[in-house]
Amino acid sequence: MTDDEEFFAWLDGELDDDKAAEVEARVRASSELTARAAEHRKLASGLQTAFGLVIESGAPPPSFQSAAVVDFGARAAGREPRPAAFGMPQWAAMAATLALGLLVGNLASRGTYSPVAVDGDHLIAAASLDRSLDTALASAPSEAGVRIGLTFRNAKGGICRSFQDRSVSGLACHDGRQWRIEGLFQGAEGQSQDYRMAAGHDPRLAQLLSQTIAGEPFDEAQERAARDRGWR
Amino acid sequence: MPSMSFDAELAVVWPRLRRFAHALARNPADADDLAQMAAEKAFKSFNQFQPGTKFDSWMFRICRTVWIDMTRSGTRRAAHEAPAEAAEAIGFDPRPATEAAIDLKIAMAAMQELPEEQREVVALILVDGFGYREAAEILDQPIGTVSSRLARGRQALLVMLGEG
Repeated sequence: MTDDEEFFAWLDGELDDDKAAEVEARVRASSELTARAAEHRKLASGLQTAFGLVIESGAPPPSFQSAAVVDFGARAAGREPRPAAFGMPQWAAMAATLALGLLVGNLASRGTYSPVAVDGDHLIAAASLDRSLDTALASAPSEAGVRIGLTFRNAKGGICRSFQDRSVSGLACHDGRQWRIEGLFQGAEGQSQDYRMAAGHDPRLAQLLSQTIAGEPFDEAQERAARDRGWR
Repeated sequence: MPSMSFDAELAVVWPRLRRFAHALARNPADADDLAQMAAEKAFKSFNQFQPGTKFDSWMFRICRTVWIDMTRSGTRRAAHEAPAEAAEAIGFDPRPATEAAIDLKIAMAAMQELPEEQREVVALILVDGFGYREAAEILDQPIGTVSSRLARGRQALLVMLGEG
């Protein structure tokens, strides 16, 4: 170990007591070494503070056992939903596209009630989901159990809201006229009452949120003000 | 490992894993890809995890391996055709709105200036707080090598960041 390495090992608390006392005495006796110790302590704490921001950003962990793309065709046929293709860079968007494709294909035979509807070539919120997106605040569950998670603006300035309706979670963005569905994900069994999903704890939804959000999520006052302005 | 849930273990180490990825990778988008890929790889090889050993060390080792693969094969985000908005899929706001955001950008840029073998040592020991021995085990290097790379890495960082 060079003197340098020994100095840093002392700084990092890696030396045994005897050796540490020896280095400490040496550092105390030298104003140059004392200043150097202070500089390096400052450097270490500066790095920890800077990278600490990554931890504070609180991005949710991916979930594996519970990840499954909603597959409406298979569900209608009574088969199990297939597991999501996982880990590809755009996997969340791909999964959403797949789910929406299957959903659209299946809507015609869905019968009367659906929380989504087809408008031209895209999906929009309908019925209780549409009403909840229009009126509900994140702090209060709305009618029919629809819960709102985050509200925020996307890069185009449109307002988006994540939601959970029973075991399905998703993201809708207001286009000035209606809520367009940007993603829809089936949760695992037993997660249906788990409100955290709407806040982005489903990894696929979380990925979609992080791709869509521009700036910070709305706080309660901003959310209320946006509702009062008709989500424009 | 019936008594151990991968998701539960991952949830505990995930914030640190993302931080480690940010210390290694060149930008936040690459870092998030890296953490995501490391988690996926770990999930696939969870049956090789030895119960009783430390999950975080195992996870960091996998993350480092994935990072090396990404670096060697040039599969970082900039090297493949990602949609423009994908570059904005990040865990923090990179615009200089706050002092703190600037600090992270600068810290990431400074880390990029270090040779990779110094960067990983600094990321483990200075940023995450691993002890030398654990870091040496994660990196599969002698402790003396780790200690000398750490010394060189932090000297270089002090030159780049120390004037503030």
